[in-house]
Amino acid sequence: MEAASARAARYTREPVPETPLQRYIAQACSPENFEPNLALSLEIADSINAKKGVAPREAAVAIVGYINHRNPNVSLLALSLLDICVKNCGYPFQLQISTKDFLNELVRRFPERPPIRTTRVQNRILELIEEWRRTICETSKYKEDLGFIRDMHRLLSYKGYVFPEIRREDAAVLNPSDNLRSAEEMEAEERAAQSAKLQELIRRGSPRDLQEANKLMKVMAGYDQRNKTDYRAKAAEEVGGIQQKARLLEEMLQGYKPGDEIKEGDVFEELANALASAHPKIQKMCEEESEDTEAVAKLLEINDSIHRTIERYKLVKKGDVEGANAIPKGTLGVSGAGVKKGPDNELSLIDFGGADDLAGSSEPSATGDLMSGAQTAAPPKAKGNALEDDLLGLSMSDGSMGQEGGISLGGSTNGTTNIMAQFSQPQPPQHASNSIFASTSSLPHPQPQSQQQNPKTTYDLLNSLSASNPRSASKPAAPIQSAAQQYRQQQAQRSSADPFATLAATPTRQPSPFQFQQATRPTPPPQPARQQPQQPTPSSGPVDLLGGISEPHSNGSAPPQASPAAAGGDDEWEFSSSLPDQPTDLTVTNSKIKTVFTVHREPNDEIAISSRISNNTAQTISDLTFQFAVTKGLTLTLQPQSSRSLAPNQSQGITQSIRLQGVERGKGGTVKLRWRAGYSIAGVGAMNEQGEIVGLGVL
Amino acid sequence: MGGSISKMMSKIFGSKEMRLLMLGLDAAGKTTILYKLKLDTDVTTIPTVGFNVETVTYKNTKFNVWDVGGQDKIRPLWRHYFSGTQGLIFVVDSNDRDRMDEARKELERIIQDREMKDALLLVFANKQDVRGSLSPKEVSDELMLDRTAKGHTWKVEPSCATTGEGIFEGLAWLSSNVKLPPK
Repeated sequence: MEAASARAARYTREPVPETPLQRYIAQACSPENFEPNLALSLEIADSINAKKGVAPREAAVAIVGYINHRNPNVSLLALSLLDICVKNCGYPFQLQISTKDFLNELVRRFPERPPIRTTRVQNRILELIEEWRRTICETSKYKEDLGFIRDMHRLLSYKGYVFPEIRREDAAVLNPSDNLRSAEEMEAEERAAQSAKLQELIRRGSPRDLQEANKLMKVMAGYDQRNKTDYRAKAAEEVGGIQQKARLLEEMLQGYKPGDEIKEGDVFEELANALASAHPKIQKMCEEESEDTEAVAKLLEINDSIHRTIERYKLVKKGDVEGANAIPKGTLGVSGAGVKKGPDNELSLIDFGGADDLAGSSEPSATGDLMSGAQTAAPPKAKGNALEDDLLGLSMSDGSMGQEGGISLGGSTNGTTNIMAQFSQPQPPQHASNSIFASTSSLPHPQPQSQQQNPKTTYDLLNSLSASNPRSASKPAAPIQSAAQQYRQQQAQRSSADPFATLAATPTRQPSPFQFQQATRPTPPPQPARQQPQQPTPSSGPVDLLGGISEPHSNGSAPPQASPAAAGGDDEWEFSSSLPDQPTDLTVTNSKIKTVFTVHREPNDEIAISSRISNNTAQTISDLTFQFAVTKGLTLTLQPQSSRSLAPNQSQGITQSIRLQGVERGKGGTVKLRWRAGYSIAGVGAMNEQGEIVGLGVL
Repeated sequence: MGGSISKMMSKIFGSKEMRLLMLGLDAAGKTTILYKLKLDTDVTTIPTVGFNVETVTYKNTKFNVWDVGGQDKIRPLWRHYFSGTQGLIFVVDSNDRDRMDEARKELERIIQDREMKDALLLVFANKQDVRGSLSPKEVSDELMLDRTAKGHTWKVEPSCATTGEGIFEGLAWLSSNVKLPPK
């Protein structure tokens, strides 16, 4: 019976639906509909998502059949359904629409040369392809699997088809959302994507696909752990992003004056919406992390503070500035919103009596110190993975980072780096507090040597908070040991390599892979407390589990001048020195061409590189082009190459001067410079080389 | 021209293609069977992490045999191979009495999947050369095939992968029982 109907299907033009899914699709594309049946379309999308496996393919094949229907109304209905599926079924469906056979089928009724007037159906198809190219082909996490869409786009443009303008907002839903996701969700998403890919590879069955399928199986079965993502660390990082947003909003609300207007759709609202959507997610994360009491405590604190910020926003929006100010401040690193013991703004989570006079208005709020991610999440991201930064869509603006300031590099009074120098300065409150981010010293972060030498010169916030550190006892400004602090000390003892456990423990603690030395910050933030900005200021900053994903403590992110001990892993001390700047030579290529960079630190934010290219071959090299790219935040200025060709074995025949601006002193070690060289040898054969230089050998 | 003739011949003489999926617990002998089929030699195998696929032609039928690793970590991935499978070869180590129950549960999970509803089931009661191994009848009882494979055409074939005993008989059974998919 079934076989008979299937056979019938082959001979009639109309595909005969067999499965429930196909029946739904037939219904949605039936010419009886005057307009797309949205409810049914969404149901189809849900059904694809629920069934997984072959369902995405089955649907794609069925839909494209209707797209090529003779009745243009049917085609348009099918295209609308296709659009909905692409937008709601995620990667598994997107993988299907990017297969060669699907795309070929999609444009089957396109004439070889574009007609003078494209039909509505053709126009809609072109629109969809353009939309995909602009969104998923650029932003999807798995965009390399969607390459054929791009190819099809290119082919059609080549044939002379013109793609209609698309409205970015309409297509934006195809971009990955920057909503907060928990570890579980991210892992599930990844698994679903892998699963869909494996299914597709097996279906295609070409030797190459099968090879890839075999590899993918190893990853999925857990035999290949090399590229395993730590989803908890990532989730923690995302929480850091939310915190960042909370802080930004809080800051903006602080700057809000009565009379200012909050308009629809402006930054205030955007941030508030992001926070509001994160709110339930954080609660869910609390449940998922329920066995990790520490993480839950942190998440709850963050949750509370986000809640306060949202409340404040709502009040301000209503125009009730009074009411808004009544809400306790101290939300996640709000500038100037240290936990003041004001008459009505009291937030007595931790009482840091006596700190006031010494630390100015900067006071550590007990709230988010654990999840100190927000401040320090930014540097690791930008440093470790600029791309990821983009993907996560976190706004790590320079300005706000500077203001957080809690752990920024500051020159101290005695000339060496002192992390906490900042706290010794009487500062305007908005630069000082950010209490949350001033992690306690129980973090195994590098501490400047100078502190030990003249501990009394500054109020050492870090130390004062540290329980496991004997020095704190002798501090003049040692805070009152509050109950909360003791609690935290106990917590600190229970160290774990948990990404959520920013609060690390005793100095003997082994570095976890999630820690890193904040050797650099990618962008030069304005640093109010900086007394000697030209001072080489090597790494100093809290080790941030939230932010650092992959940077092990000892991976040499410490600048070259730092003493070896600093790179020794679990050392608490960061040695710094101030040597005269010396140019360093870097050999970039040594193949057919030999390229040597001489890197020189200029007195300001600049690094000067002079590149000298020699010919290693006995043939003429011509059409030589060297291209460079740097990470965001840095500016690259290239002088023209002195020439484009090299005589046989010519030494240093081409020179070029390159200037890199925005590299703050101390950050030279982490500058990433990508280069690409193209040239031809003896007039034939275009050669290409490329690579990346990490760290320029100067501070 | 030549192509059309061979097409016609194949229509007349019914040369067919069959997609077979070979599953079973780890160390049941799947990979050994596969290479016995393909190369007719007794190869020494290592645990399969991933899968192997080979094409074997036997009695006018081209068999595409997929052999997927049987370790418990890989078992959740089996389902990706179900689609389009016309015959399931489930390999059982007839000596591994302790894990018969485990094997039954896995078989149940596979054969009751929607994607497998039309598949034939061939059970190789493998390692018959070892003394004291379960007989085919015992294997089918242990696996409760009457119940587990309800709605499927099934057969238990005693086999010995190293000598090749029973293996081609199994393939012959599959090829004669396969329902031709509508072409």
